[in-house]
Amino acid sequence: MSGAILQGVPATTLDTDIWIDLPSRQYIRVLNLCRRLGAEVRANTVVDLSDGSTVNFLYQVHGLRGFHYEYQRAKRLNWLGMTVAVLPLKRIYASKKFVRRPKDLAHLPLLEQTMKLGRRLARETRKPVLDRAKK
Amino acid sequence: MEKKVARALAKLRRVRGLSEEEKYLFARSLVATPDERWRLHESFLRSHDLFTRSARRKYGFR
Repeated sequence: MSGAILQGVPATTLDTDIWIDLPSRQYIRVLNLCRRLGAEVRANTVVDLSDGSTVNFLYQVHGLRGFHYEYQRAKRLNWLGMTVAVLPLKRIYASKKFVRRPKDLAHLPLLEQTMKLGRRLARETRKPVLDRAKK
Repeated sequence: MEKKVARALAKLRRVRGLSEEEKYLFARSLVATPDERWRLHESFLRSHDLFTRSARRKYGFR
């Protein structure tokens, strides 16, 4: 849900999922990098960073197309001084709808509402400009 | 940020099915920058003492 939060979904999450473009058998490369950064390894795909936050590495995301397809269409956001690629809300929604764990299903209405309200705000913000153009 | 929230809230005023508090929550979240959104999220977790794994374990999270 971290990507969704960064795009305006008023939700919270206990970890950040990062999709890695590597075969899952190469997880050790990611863990070694995390160790070098001072993280504590909790499991093959889970680490606690030095600030105490938890990161979960995914090597496959269900309900979506391949990494390169999704990466090309990802939204680029400025976050903490970096540009990060995040899945657009529509794609997060698609993945959660496919996976269907209770926690994923619980997020669907919130994602849907945010997308709807975001579209409404964008439409309303454009309106005055369009009205001026007509005059 | 409050001015931006107020403007967004005015645009969401006629949305049905949401309470005023929910509309405020969405308005604030939608007008915020990614950094502001993340700060709100972290503050929420910290206010419940749920930000770090060690803190969460006290409450039974694995």
